[in-house]
Amino acid sequence: MNRYLKLVHMEVDRFKYILAGLMSLTLVCQFGAVIWMTMSAVSYRKSGAWRNGGSMDYSYSSSPTGNLSFTDVMSTTQSIFMIPILLSIGVLAIYVFLIWYRDWFGRNTFIYRLLILPTARRHIYFAKLTAILIFIFALVSFQLAVLPVEKSIFNLIVPSDLRDPSYFSDIIYSNPALGMLIPWHFDSFLVYYGIGIIAVIAIFAAILIERSYGRLGILYAILYLGISVILLLFPMFGLGLDDVNGYLYPNEIYTIELVMCVVVMSVSVWLGCRLISKKITV
Amino acid sequence: MIEVVDIHKRYRGRSVLNGASFTVEKGQITCLIGINGAGKSTILKAIMGLTPLKSGTIRIDGQPMDKNLYESIAFIPDHLTMPPGMKLSEGLRFMQDFYQSWNANRAEELMKFFSLDQTERIGNLSKGTAAKFNLVLGLAQDTEYVLMDEPFSGIDMFSRGLIAEVFSSHLIEDRGVLLTTHEIGEVEHLIDRALLMKDGSICRDFQCEQIRSEEGKSIVDVMREVYQS
Repeated sequence: MNRYLKLVHMEVDRFKYILAGLMSLTLVCQFGAVIWMTMSAVSYRKSGAWRNGGSMDYSYSSSPTGNLSFTDVMSTTQSIFMIPILLSIGVLAIYVFLIWYRDWFGRNTFIYRLLILPTARRHIYFAKLTAILIFIFALVSFQLAVLPVEKSIFNLIVPSDLRDPSYFSDIIYSNPALGMLIPWHFDSFLVYYGIGIIAVIAIFAAILIERSYGRLGILYAILYLGISVILLLFPMFGLGLDDVNGYLYPNEIYTIELVMCVVVMSVSVWLGCRLISKKITV
Repeated sequence: MIEVVDIHKRYRGRSVLNGASFTVEKGQITCLIGINGAGKSTILKAIMGLTPLKSGTIRIDGQPMDKNLYESIAFIPDHLTMPPGMKLSEGLRFMQDFYQSWNANRAEELMKFFSLDQTERIGNLSKGTAAKFNLVLGLAQDTEYVLMDEPFSGIDMFSRGLIAEVFSSHLIEDRGVLLTTHEIGEVEHLIDRALLMKDGSICRDFQCEQIRSEEGKSIVDVMREVYQS
């Protein structure tokens, strides 16, 4: 356990600059977008163009009074807000592969050292998995923590007589990427993050298959991922969740889907641990 | 004692190890000799559990390889296996964190002996300096056995001299050392026992001193008999 935690610490430490970079980019993009949009909208109002029949698009307001709300600013800065979010998702998706492959490739093959540590090899597997989860939730938490700060900046720029109130749920739903990242309902949270975690675990198993079986391993890994995707999608599409004349009730299909998720996840974890313990080769 | 019994391994359709068997005794420097691609490094990796075998058994002091045995057997590969972004001090800290057998005083002693700068980054080290730090990581562990893969490969003559000095010092004494090389000239005077590999198995196993005194042959003479016959 102690060595597992040390491995997690080491994995987090190795990603810290990239994580800090993504967080900084989020800050710069989102703060910049909020400040720029809010200041433009406020100066537009102060110039009197609003009262003289200016364009509604340029007013950034859904309020009939012409007042500004933080939700309006979030809504009009969607694309700039999405840039760091999508970039973070992209970087993490690539890092799911890199967290393994960087230890094999390059001048210094760190995997030699990792595999001869006096600890169970499954600790290496779980440390890498834990690190990925830490990065995901660190970025989501950071995004959540930044939103109230951005709202405070908005409040500082917009005079109170030009401001409409905004609610946290409206703020999140004004941006589809944020709505996906921070689902309002707990079951949606479980579904989105559950699918993400299963995908990471299945990819880990595929990487370890590839690393264990040489050139043939690439084929086996692709096959494994293909079978996993089919198993996960079959209950939803094969059994006809939307088909009212279907043989099974939706609840039964959901149960089958849940069982498939548990099966794919369990088999992937078991396979990953077994391969890294018995079959892996450097 | 490390016992390797009848190990077989295939790689990309080719038989790399074909029934190799030998033992490594404590207090002896045993050298695994063979031409390039003979399977020397594969044997070391197999002992350390870094590559699976098709068949055969490997035991360390009568036990099959297990995570706890990594405290009693150190492996020094033919290249440094620490992340390039780490400083040498962080590399030493990493070893101290994970190995109970880590001897910080010995590490300090070796760092001074090789004149290594702890603030240097691993990625910036020259090949010779990286080889020295690699030796520090392996030898600063209080282990019963040390496996070294080509410790002299690609290293300048001054660094070779320093590394050779280590072999005749207290750092090696009483341990069982298994090293591989294809350049026997550098280590001939240091080794106690030689294992010659051919076609994936051990074809000659002899005590160097004995063959010198009884048959008047050097290791190179025996190698000529084996590889040029």
